[in-house]
Amino acid sequence: MEPLLSVRNLTKRFGGLVAVNQVSMDVHPGEVVGLVGDNGAGKSTLIKMISGVYQPNEGEIYFDGKLAHIANPSQARDMGIETIYQDLALAGNLDMSANIFLGRERKKRYLGGLIRVLDEKFMLQEAQKLLQSLDVHIPSATAKIDYLSGGQRQAVAIARALYWEARLMIMDEPTNNLGVIEQAKVLDLIRRLRDQGVPVIVISHTIRDIFAVSDRIVVLHRGRKVADKRTQDTSTEEIIQYIMGARDDYHRN
Amino acid sequence: MFKKLLLVTVVLALAIPLAIPVTAQDDKPKIGFLPGVVDPFYQVMELGINQAVKDFGLEVVTQFPESWNVTVQTPILETYIARGDLDYIIIAPVDKEQMIAPLEKALEAGIKIITVDTFLGDGDYENGLVTFPISYIGSDNVEGGRIAARALVEALGGKGKVFVENTNPGVSSVEGRAVGFQEVIAQYPEMEFVGMEYCLDDATIAAEQVSAVLQREPELAGIFGVNVFSAQGAGNAVKAAGLQGAVQIVSYDATKDAMENLRNDVVTMVLAQKPYDMGYLAVAFAMADWRGVTSLPKRVTTGFAILTKENMDDPEYARFIYQVP
Amino acid sequence: MVSEAQAPSLPATSKRRTTGQQAILLGSKIWSWLFLLMLVFYFSWQGTGFFSLRNSQNILVAIVPIVLMGLGQTFVIIAGGIDLSVGWLMGLSSVISALVIREEYNAGVAPWLAIIQGLLAGVGVALAAGLINGVIVAKLRVPPFIVTLGVSFVARGIGFLLAKGNIIAGQPQLARDLGNESLLYYVRGEGGGWYFLKKPDVTGAQLRMMDRVFTWPVVITFIVVLVAIFILHKTQFGRHTYAIGGNREAALRAGVPVDRHVILLYMMSAGTAGLAGVMHAWRFSGGAADAGDALLMMSIAAVVIGGVSLFGGQGRVIGTVIGALILAVLQTGLIMINVKTFYQYVIVGIIVILAVLMDQARDLIVGRAEAAA
Ligand SMILES: Nc1ncnc2c1ncn2[C@@H]1O[C@H](COP(=O)(O)OP(=O)(O)OP(=O)(O)O)[C@@H](O)[C@H]1O
Ligand SMILES: [Mg+2]
Repeated sequence: MEPLLSVRNLTKRFGGLVAVNQVSMDVHPGEVVGLVGDNGAGKSTLIKMISGVYQPNEGEIYFDGKLAHIANPSQARDMGIETIYQDLALAGNLDMSANIFLGRERKKRYLGGLIRVLDEKFMLQEAQKLLQSLDVHIPSATAKIDYLSGGQRQAVAIARALYWEARLMIMDEPTNNLGVIEQAKVLDLIRRLRDQGVPVIVISHTIRDIFAVSDRIVVLHRGRKVADKRTQDTSTEEIIQYIMGARDDYHRN
Repeated sequence: MFKKLLLVTVVLALAIPLAIPVTAQDDKPKIGFLPGVVDPFYQVMELGINQAVKDFGLEVVTQFPESWNVTVQTPILETYIARGDLDYIIIAPVDKEQMIAPLEKALEAGIKIITVDTFLGDGDYENGLVTFPISYIGSDNVEGGRIAARALVEALGGKGKVFVENTNPGVSSVEGRAVGFQEVIAQYPEMEFVGMEYCLDDATIAAEQVSAVLQREPELAGIFGVNVFSAQGAGNAVKAAGLQGAVQIVSYDATKDAMENLRNDVVTMVLAQKPYDMGYLAVAFAMADWRGVTSLPKRVTTGFAILTKENMDDPEYARFIYQVP
Repeated sequence: MVSEAQAPSLPATSKRRTTGQQAILLGSKIWSWLFLLMLVFYFSWQGTGFFSLRNSQNILVAIVPIVLMGLGQTFVIIAGGIDLSVGWLMGLSSVISALVIREEYNAGVAPWLAIIQGLLAGVGVALAAGLINGVIVAKLRVPPFIVTLGVSFVARGIGFLLAKGNIIAGQPQLARDLGNESLLYYVRGEGGGWYFLKKPDVTGAQLRMMDRVFTWPVVITFIVVLVAIFILHKTQFGRHTYAIGGNREAALRAGVPVDRHVILLYMMSAGTAGLAGVMHAWRFSGGAADAGDALLMMSIAAVVIGGVSLFGGQGRVIGTVIGALILAVLQTGLIMINVKTFYQYVIVGIIVILAVLMDQARDLIVGRAEAAA
């Protein structure tokens, strides 16, 4: 099967620091890829290049078999790449529906589209429906995000990514801040997406979760890819060795 | 909801027309005094106003604008008009053009205008651009400029570069001073006028500007500071450069600061205006007009006292120093 | 509200606020309204002629430039920026529009056409300056405080240079009428009444019984306020303004064209200041480079009193209008009761600080409980 996403030799430097170093990887439809690595390994930087936040210094991104120049996040979203960021990227002064629809607000048109007014009612209803379907409880739909708990915010970030029928879902530590039950729900969600054919890249430090949902595991170490293995062909111990830098499948002399 | 209710209340409170009849027809006029800015010159003028008001048994409302600007003076003026109880406004218009329209509204509201220190239009209330004020009472500023220039010429022996530190453009009084000054300087072939800057009535800016000019014109021999702030700034800049005596300053306005500079040889001559007279006369004019006097002169110049180091302690002259309580 | 019913996981206590918290929440929302009302009542009771139609109009006229500059500023500050250039841009616009009007008028162009040309030139120059502000802030990431301060100085210099250190006078009567005449007139006393759009034919002593109600600058400002309310509170543009102020990075990742948006905000801010400058030239029959000098800080005070957070992300247009009203009511009121207007600054200073404290009190004390509101 053709990969939906294919990145080739991506490199990202911040000044003298090489955050991501010549990383290549593929993501196929209906596949969950676990992306792991120590703090600062370059996981977030890698996915931010895919979601258009950063521009790679070197390398290419192919989406749907075609070379893609993802100049900004809104291009990525237009291509169907939805991302839940590690820092959630929510506007704390806005409520949940404003955040879910941020950048893609639903508008009512008057005078042939000359005047466009936010359709607050529609957006609020959709947001409520969505959270309900995710079984998330937020006591006030119109409270600012700042006033929500960490888990509730996480839920809003997840809901936002889900609402827009993604073709590729990227989740950077989505189970952060969540209680045990909610963590299980998120893993469930990932499986549901996969069953619908939507591939997911999931980043997590909880190796158990990665083994529970992923089909393949990619390990980064100091910006380099050191392992790319089918989940069923490896073990927790082995992955931890890769993470710590004790093993390296791609070492070049 | 509550907010909406409040909004409605506020709007109503601001908009309900209340036909308050104008209660002007007492037997004594009520006066509003509106100077150009808060400074010792106008504070002395206020003393004159208050004395006259007391002598005539009148009432006066006084507000000092915090800076020299039509956007500061006009709201005060309009509030004077809206009070509905004033019969005369004694004002030093901060702009000869821009204050015309606001003052015409006062006129429309039945308030008569006397301008002090500065005038409207070209200052000719007889046949000029603006004729509605009763009178202009102030210094003959062009003449004051000439006097300042002659004093500088004399101090410099008829030779040297001179500079003018001005305040704001478009103000009749200081404009006249600069005109008179340049006119006289031009008559002396060996005197050179090297320029003019505006400090916007800010002594600090004046000092900066004069410092810069001292850099640019190392041979600068004389400076004319057209008012309190310009002279103060010029004096400070010359002192800071250690050029007392080498650069002669003549200045308008006999503030304590200016006297200090005079005593220490930073300043050669100070032209004292007579703000007290202006204030007193303005009230007297208002009273006279109220009593039906119709032959008030449209223009009154109050003259100067010329203060030097030699005469400054002579009580005959010292009384013109601006003494603010 | 379905979800509320199904929220067993949340501790019940967080759903209810104490009376104290409720008072603070309400207080932080309406204190400026109450304060304004209090001032109005106090001055009406104490001041000569405060509670009159004429003075109400007087107040409205006085707030025109403060509101106009405050509106643009409201948007800019909500988006996390600040625009210190509006004061001197207002002056520059007044000079340019007065210059264009004078030159065109003297060249024989019809007054109304000259005035429109002046309007376009004045506002156009301001928009160009706003574009410069915006591009440098958004693209080059220079702190707005610095950029707008720099542009402010440039505007100040150019204004004085163009006016050759003078005032640009020589305006046609029509410009003056636009600045001073009104939509409605009210003539007090016998045979008086309301006149719509037509100046009553009164002269002499009757003139003093005539009030101009809603002068044209007030009407224009009112319309601009309505448009600003609509844009900020009803449109995507407004929503994005809040989002950028709340979390610029989040807005960017959500696909908000942040740079373009920020540039537009600075253009709006400069544009409303330019409009204020043009109307200054109408009202005072002349353009002056320093027309807005005294107004910048007033407009920022109005914005802050109105509840716009200088940290960005919060505030409403109507708050700024209320803030401006408080300033004008204070000033006129103090004159009416014959207290030196310098007290105005003391009081304004205190309420500015009070406004910020109110904001923080709400966030600190009510904070999380708001989530359950
Ligand atoms: N915008 C940036 N500017 C400079 N350095 C950056 C930037 N973003 C990331 N880095 C650096 O790049 C490296 C990789 O960071 P990245 O956030 O990708 O790590 P990560 O694998 O996601 O770590 P974590 O598990 O802690 O989230 C780190 O050394 C980080 O400090
Ligand atoms: Mg990370």
